[in-house]
Amino acid sequence: MIGVKGINILRSVLIGLLLAVISSATIADGSKVPPPKGAQCVEDPVWMRTHHFETVLHQRDETVLHGIRTEKHSLKNCIDCHITPNKNGEYARYSNSEEHFCASCHTFAAVSVDCFQCHADRPESAVREAIKQHKANGANPHEDLKTSASELILKSSLLSAQSK
Amino acid sequence: MNNVVTKAYKLLRKSKQVTDEPQTDQSKRSFVGGLVGASGLAVAPGVMLYETASAKPADEAVTNKIRWGMLVNVNQCTEDCNACVTACNDEHGLYPEEGSSTDSQWIRKLTVKDPSTENTKSFPVMCQHCEDPPCVDVCPTGASFKREDGIVLVNMHTCIGCRYCIIACPYKARSFVHEVLDNQLPSTPRGKGCVDSCNMCVNKIDAGENTTACAQACEKDGHQAIVFGDLNDSQSEISKRLKDFGGTQIRADLGLNTGVRYQGL
Repeated sequence: MIGVKGINILRSVLIGLLLAVISSATIADGSKVPPPKGAQCVEDPVWMRTHHFETVLHQRDETVLHGIRTEKHSLKNCIDCHITPNKNGEYARYSNSEEHFCASCHTFAAVSVDCFQCHADRPESAVREAIKQHKANGANPHEDLKTSASELILKSSLLSAQSK
Repeated sequence: MNNVVTKAYKLLRKSKQVTDEPQTDQSKRSFVGGLVGASGLAVAPGVMLYETASAKPADEAVTNKIRWGMLVNVNQCTEDCNACVTACNDEHGLYPEEGSSTDSQWIRKLTVKDPSTENTKSFPVMCQHCEDPPCVDVCPTGASFKREDGIVLVNMHTCIGCRYCIIACPYKARSFVHEVLDNQLPSTPRGKGCVDSCNMCVNKIDAGENTTACAQACEKDGHQAIVFGDLNDSQSEISKRLKDFGGTQIRADLGLNTGVRYQGL
């Protein structure tokens, strides 16, 4: 017979295993999200998974109202590290719920993310490159029909989860 | 104009408070500021402060020791040059359609003509970064605000897109984003449903560059018509120029004490 103590130990082992599985999900073969640039996140990844918006929310007011632009908790820093090119050298847009770091989890959790209606969903170099290409094609960079923001919003919301 | 100067001078003589002492009372200060602006003489607000502008550490909030401003030398601005507008669009990722009356314009070139002399002048007009901004007065959510260092901004996280500030601004400096945008730059987030305007390149200032894209472009083009600097620092180039050559405010009669001044207008 397993006592109460034994059940508790078993439970903590199971939780540990589950977290380990989730933690390794991004680097497992099944995930298409390209690995981040850095080796270590600015905070504990487990804490970040549930609390990342607290830091982003806090930082946004500090930045907009008071001009405090520390890198550690800035959205720009998150994007620069987490959004990396895939094997073909392409940066995923947030409409791509399989490859975009933020979208992959937000689609899974069915939580819509509004940040990218205004904020860049890729590092600056990738945005500049896209702008250059649009201009070369005689198109307005704001009106990219293939990845128009309205389409991105639709794709990144629950719709994509339901269509699977 | 002469009438305004005479009237202002009479008022000045009547006032017992005209001394060289620093005046802290807001009404007196704005009175003197508006007066000097109206008469077209040089003014560097808050000249009693001597702190020099330098790059602040990233984790420190901006302070009111600095007041950023720009001086446009109209005589050095040419009608056919559009470099400041192009540079602003590139810096902030604005792509207005040609001929569009609604796409965002953060800075625009104006050409004015005196009908009596046929004298034309061309100069850029952008958000004038008022000390007492009407856009901030009317904003129902507090999204339109003035930063401690004098830069007037829109907090797009709290902007509800009511466009009250657009109506209130005497300089038509603000635009409303009517359509969904894509490919915005990380340094300048903006999107549909919010008001935006010249942010005096806060991204550059906070990074310690202490210049604006328009001023840089103007200098690169060899016109050197735009000088950016700290109005509170009497040793800064902008303050020295204002002291030597003077500077006018557009619609100085409104007494807004603008951060953008014009020389030769």
